[in-house]
Amino acid sequence: MFRSLRSPRSAPPPGWLLSLVLAILFVVAACTGGGTAISSVAPATTAAGPAASVASTATPAPTASPAFPATLTDDEGTAVTIAGEPHTIVSLAPATTETLFALGVGDRIKGKAQDVFLYPPQAGSVPDVATYDSVDVEKIVALAPDVVFAGGNFLTPPDAIAKLRSLGLTVVVLYAPSVDAVYRDIELTGEVAGRSAQASAMVDRIRAEFESVRAAVAGLPTPRVFYELDATGAIYGPADKSFLAEMIRLAGGTPITTGSADKYDISVERLIEQDPEVILMADAPFGVTAEQVAARPGWKVMTAVKNGQIRPIDDQTVTRPGPRLFLGLALLARTIHPDATVPSAAPIPPVP
Amino acid sequence: MTTDSGTLAPTRPGVAWIGRARRRSIVLAGSGLLALVAVVCIGVAMGSVAIAPLDTLAIVTHRLFGIDLGRTWSASAETIVWDLRVPRVLTSLVVGTALAVAGATFQGLLRNPLADPYVLGTASGAALGAAIAVLLPVRIVILGFGLLQGLAFLGALASIYAVYRLSRIGGLSPLTSLLLTGYAVGSLLAAGLAMAMYLSGAALRQIFSYLMGGFDAASWPQLAGTLPLVAVGCALILMRARSLNGLLLGEETAAHLGIDVGRERAILLALASLVTAAAVAVSGLIGFVGLVVPHVVRLVVGPNARLVLPLSALVGAVLLAFADVIARSAGEIPVGIVTALIGAPFFIVLLRRARTGYEL
Repeated sequence: MFRSLRSPRSAPPPGWLLSLVLAILFVVAACTGGGTAISSVAPATTAAGPAASVASTATPAPTASPAFPATLTDDEGTAVTIAGEPHTIVSLAPATTETLFALGVGDRIKGKAQDVFLYPPQAGSVPDVATYDSVDVEKIVALAPDVVFAGGNFLTPPDAIAKLRSLGLTVVVLYAPSVDAVYRDIELTGEVAGRSAQASAMVDRIRAEFESVRAAVAGLPTPRVFYELDATGAIYGPADKSFLAEMIRLAGGTPITTGSADKYDISVERLIEQDPEVILMADAPFGVTAEQVAARPGWKVMTAVKNGQIRPIDDQTVTRPGPRLFLGLALLARTIHPDATVPSAAPIPPVP
Repeated sequence: MTTDSGTLAPTRPGVAWIGRARRRSIVLAGSGLLALVAVVCIGVAMGSVAIAPLDTLAIVTHRLFGIDLGRTWSASAETIVWDLRVPRVLTSLVVGTALAVAGATFQGLLRNPLADPYVLGTASGAALGAAIAVLLPVRIVILGFGLLQGLAFLGALASIYAVYRLSRIGGLSPLTSLLLTGYAVGSLLAAGLAMAMYLSGAALRQIFSYLMGGFDAASWPQLAGTLPLVAVGCALILMRARSLNGLLLGEETAAHLGIDVGRERAILLALASLVTAAAVAVSGLIGFVGLVVPHVVRLVVGPNARLVLPLSALVGAVLLAFADVIARSAGEIPVGIVTALIGAPFFIVLLRRARTGYEL
């Protein structure tokens, strides 16, 4: 489908102009009886828009296993057709990079989004084609990927996604707002990459590990936990319906949320009123210490501060929606309940 | 430069200035055109992916004239050169032209050296429109134009229309009233924009990138939508250079010269706003070009709008295209930062070296 870009599209006409020209050409061809003219024009219509890669109608793919070409619905509801098993992949979300490595197709990733935490280490040799806030469309086009995985909810700039699609590339947008959505994304990634069986096995494994953490914290008290994302200016913590709040609940805590379904800032007053029993510092890598938290004006009345229950936590492990998620849940459970015995599981190894 | 004597003696310095302006404008136009060719070549040849210059040349000649230079290239190289770089360079030229011409027009109309294309609230209107488009949960793309471009365009035009209508009520002189109303409406819209940004959550980055301006999203369909508006708008403004010259002398003098001041002002205001709106819809808010380019041109060739308008178009196009080349090679930093970083010191040097008494 990418090759089709080479078909005649020399001028920069807007769509209506192109349709007009095509219509005239058809009329002329019909009048002169030149069948060849029609057949030479026809491919241009398919090359004119992103329709070549994004199907306009969502036809359900046959459920039989080696299903290529397959039409899938990505997390933004766009129907995407995968023509064949992709051999050149670009991943614009670090979590998807991890998933692809764990599924055994890491060697097919030819371009990735910069990952400050660089996991897995094998991904280090893959060139960066995007940073936190920009996507190098030129580099991606030069790689001629069979599929591009992008992050939803503005993780990958929507303009960049539209641009890649307009150039005829196949883009799958992934965004997981909940644990179930993470499972779904892993399975979707597996389907796109032609590794459905491995993806299902991986999801089963993650579910099992989640279950063992749940069993370990079952019956324990559920302290009120404030997961501090940032407090350099306003204080940021999990929103009511966030993935983080769900993880804290699963780890045996009662999350203190911002009181809004999608806003992450919380006032000190609300925080004092909610009275956290445990404060987890996701901002510890940025130099925030328990002493600093305790010394903030007004914070000394909180139970967590009085009892010294302020602990650092590795935010990346907890929040990255990929194959390490159960490690994150176990870490969260262990940090909330330091005295409980939470089973430690081996990570799903990235396949080189 | 005149050899006449006697009766023409008192006007000789003025005539000499006109002759000098003509020569200087020819020099400026010539060097501007050379720079234009250079910047187009650099802009198309350069990018984050290295493509052999001969391949680039072959792709462009193949696409433009259908001439085959006997070279082969990959499909991705062709996409990069023809669908990414060429429309980007051309869009930066068109937007540079639009902002510089609109800036020169607003400065002349408002007789204010601090006027720029955004002075009457266009920028805030466009930005608010863009922010609303980002926040709305719909994604429509028609002919390569998304909701963002559409609402930014409408926002810019709606705000200038509101400013114009509101300024006509009340007892102030029309110019003062326009400027102050523009400021007030702009502040109101800026508050709306701040509110939208506060509510935007994860979408904040997209709004922010619109505010910084840039050409990442440039494409053939967008260029095809913008170019006619800018070209027609600028041509119509150029045809009214005489009115603009008259208005520069003040309303009474202009009226004595036979210019229908109210009508001409409204028409020029509408044209300059249209051109600005078309530009900001595709590029976001790029500052500085519209403010400084007309001044630079005036410092070189004097205040005559017949010279200032076309030369501003040329210089604005070249400056913005160069700024975008630098922005791209510095790793996609916002182009507005580059225009200000390079343009401001250059402008200060030019101001300090200006020998003649500079007037708008």
